[in-house]
Amino acid sequence: MANWQEMMPSTRAYLMNKVLYELHHKPDHLEAYNQDADAYLTRFDLPQDLATSIKSNDVAGMYLSGVNPYLLRAHCIGVKIPEDESLAALRSLLDHEDYNDG
Amino acid sequence: MAEITGIYTASHTPVMLNFPDRIPATLKDEIFGAYKAMGDDFMAGKPDALVVLSNDHLHNFFLDNFPAYCIGCAESYESPIEHWLHAKRRTFAGDQAFGSYLLQSALEADFDPSFSMEMVLDHGSLTPLELAGVDPDLPIVPVLINCVQPPMPTMRRSYNLGRFLGHAIAEYDAVDRVAILATGGISHDIATPRMGMVNEEFDETFLGHMESGDIDATIQYATDFVHTAGNGCEEIRMWMAAMGAAKGAAFERTYYKAVNDWYTGIGIGRFKVS
Repeated sequence: MANWQEMMPSTRAYLMNKVLYELHHKPDHLEAYNQDADAYLTRFDLPQDLATSIKSNDVAGMYLSGVNPYLLRAHCIGVKIPEDESLAALRSLLDHEDYNDG
Repeated sequence: MAEITGIYTASHTPVMLNFPDRIPATLKDEIFGAYKAMGDDFMAGKPDALVVLSNDHLHNFFLDNFPAYCIGCAESYESPIEHWLHAKRRTFAGDQAFGSYLLQSALEADFDPSFSMEMVLDHGSLTPLELAGVDPDLPIVPVLINCVQPPMPTMRRSYNLGRFLGHAIAEYDAVDRVAILATGGISHDIATPRMGMVNEEFDETFLGHMESGDIDATIQYATDFVHTAGNGCEEIRMWMAAMGAAKGAAFERTYYKAVNDWYTGIGIGRFKVS
C-alpha cells in the first residue's frame, strides 16, 4: 500500500477533513457534537454516507473517505474510540501481505 | 557569527505521552532514557537558542491554506494545541528576532517560507523537548515542514532548506551558540491499515545511508522508498534538513528500536558538528 490515498485531496475528502478539523479545534464544537451529533453535522454540507460514518464511529469508513489520516487519528483519540477498536478497524482494510511494497 | 553546538534527530509520537504503557516498562524507560541522554548532550553545548525543525499535524494549518515551510517569528509558543494530548501545558520562550532574521534571509536566498507570529506547538515539537528535559526558557525558533498533507516539498528541497539554515545560522551574530533539533519519522503509519507495522528494514537502510555520509544516496533512498515506510515516515524531511545544516558532518545513531506497539521506528541520532 502507499502512504496516501489521495495525492491531492478530493472535495469529498476536503469536506470530511473540514468536519474533523473544526470538531477538534473550534471552541465548543466538540461539546455541541457530543450533545447532538446529527444537529452538529447538519452545519456541514456533507454527503449522508460521510455523516453516518462519523456519527457511528466507523473508523474504516472514515479512512476510505480519503480523509487526512492525522485528522482521523486525532478524531479517534479525541472522541475516545478505544485504541484497539480503531486499530482493528483499520487493520481490517489490509488487503494483501506485501504491505510495504508501496 | 553563531556556532552550531549540536544537530540532533529524533522521532516523535503522541503515543509516548498518551499510551506509554502499551510497551513494557523496561523498554519505555530505555527509550525515555535515550531522549534524556540526547537532552543532556545538547544542553552540555550550552546553546543560547534552539532551532526546532518539526511539522504541524493539521492543528495550526488546514487545507484552506497550507504552507510547505513555515518559520515561527513569535515571542513565545504555547503548547500543546491538542486537547487530547496528555501533557502539561507549557509556554516556550521564542527568539523573535532570530526567527525574523531566518525568514528574511530565506526569502533573500530564494526560499519562500510562510511565517507565523502566533503558533501553538503540537506534540511534534513538544514531545521530544519534554522527554529531552529541555529548559522551556531556552528560546526557540520553530521551522515547520509540511510532511502531513500531499503534495509536499521534496526530500532534496528540504535538504537544501537545511543547507540554507546552516549557513544563515552561522552568519547570525545576535546569539553565540545555537543547537538544532530535527524531529519526526522514522518508519510509522498514522491511521492507515498498516499502523503498528513498522518497516524496520527501511529504517535500518535509511540510518545506514545517513551514517555512510553519502548525501545523494540518502536523499535518493528517502525519495524512492518513503512510500514503503508509512505516512509518518514522510517526516524524514526534517532529517534531510538536519543533514543539510550539518554541512557534511558525520552522523551517528544513538538509539534505534522498531516499536510496533508505539507504531513507530524510534530513532535518535546526532551530527558531529562540534
